[in-house]
Amino acid sequence: MAILNKKSRSALYDPLVKTNPISLSVLGICSALAVTIRVDQALIMTGAVIFVLSTSNTIISLLRKYIPSRTRIIIQLAIIAGLVSLIDQILMAYMYNMSKQLSVFVSLIVTNCIVMGRADAYAMQNPVGNSFLDGLGNGFGYGAILISVSFFRELFGSGTIFGFSIIPEWVYGIGYENLGLMVLSPGAFIVLGLIVWFQKEIWKEQVK
Amino acid sequence: MRSNSYTLIFTSLVTLILGFLLSFTYTQLKSKQDENLAVDIRKNILRALDIREEKDEKWSNQKVKDLFSKYIRAEVLSTSGLIVDNISIENIDTEYDSLNFPIYYKLNENQIDGYAIPVIGRGLWSTLYGYLALEPDASTVKGIQFYSHKETPGLGAEVEKDWFTNNFIGKKIVNSSGELVSIEVLKGKVDESNNEAYHQVDGISGATMTTKGVTQFLLEDLKKYEPFFKKIRNKSESITWLF
Repeated sequence: MAILNKKSRSALYDPLVKTNPISLSVLGICSALAVTIRVDQALIMTGAVIFVLSTSNTIISLLRKYIPSRTRIIIQLAIIAGLVSLIDQILMAYMYNMSKQLSVFVSLIVTNCIVMGRADAYAMQNPVGNSFLDGLGNGFGYGAILISVSFFRELFGSGTIFGFSIIPEWVYGIGYENLGLMVLSPGAFIVLGLIVWFQKEIWKEQVK
Repeated sequence: MRSNSYTLIFTSLVTLILGFLLSFTYTQLKSKQDENLAVDIRKNILRALDIREEKDEKWSNQKVKDLFSKYIRAEVLSTSGLIVDNISIENIDTEYDSLNFPIYYKLNENQIDGYAIPVIGRGLWSTLYGYLALEPDASTVKGIQFYSHKETPGLGAEVEKDWFTNNFIGKKIVNSSGELVSIEVLKGKVDESNNEAYHQVDGISGATMTTKGVTQFLLEDLKKYEPFFKKIRNKSESITWLF
């Protein structure tokens, strides 16, 4: 039984790994480096991006027959910026500490190439349902990378996951130390680079 | 190709709808956001005065309010360092009022255990807002916290991090002859053998403009309170007014 036809399935599942926006197209790197120090930050960021991506894709796809081609980028950007401001307001009201930690990176979702890219490349040409799934898929693909990077960074950088200590005291007792590099941005670069390499090794034929 | 008027009307319509939507959410969420901000300010006053969350602890808004009303009292000072009775601290615009200065103090078993004053000034991109706390001797720094700014993350934004603020603790704002010297944020590290090290703290590399701003506005803000702190240092006036 197939609820989704082939095209919808590929819209949803492909971006998870096969055409992952970060590890394959290397888009959205700015926030992937900045908010991956802790897993909980990465999670909230992922949630925000999934919301913005799927909603903006849906809205733009709904309007795709009416959006004048000359101002289409402006309109796409206005819709995306509107959604991002909305999420920013909500975070400030209900998750104040998180919004302080994420600081400018929530507003920077506007300039995240993934959102803009999917809007112009996919939502402008495809029906609403598929565009929504494409947004969802890309959001989850983005999140998968973000969360894996932050998992390694938090584990090796601070010895915690979700802020709870994971590495038992006796390990520190025998001379183990947290890797300071992981907390800094170069650490994110290294982890991300390893993930990209890993993926391109395993799914060689898709890279071309 | 669509006509010009279609393009124009469609684009403005989209903008209008979005604008309306955003202002609607803003008005709906404003009170909640304001409350969060107010709680955050109190939390920072508490933290400056060394009442802080344990490592794995998260305070609710209510907890912050309770702690604040339990430990913290507030007064308004005039330019000459006298208590102003007829103005409520809520009615002062801390950033722009040049006649009335709010001051917070921590009471611990009826003993004064530190003063906190607002410190506000320009960094590189934005205005920084924070609180500087002094020990009861009015010359040693007890703590400093910044709660709002728009400096560059990773560079200027490091002012709010513990590694930076912890450097201030124990530094003196007056020299040996009792003159106000404030705290100087250096470019680079403090040379402990230097005679001036007692009022200097490590800078943030890559954030010279932000830290220059901090040095400057700390001095300006401390000057405003100097008449009051001088009295405490000289013990020329009893401070029974607090009870």
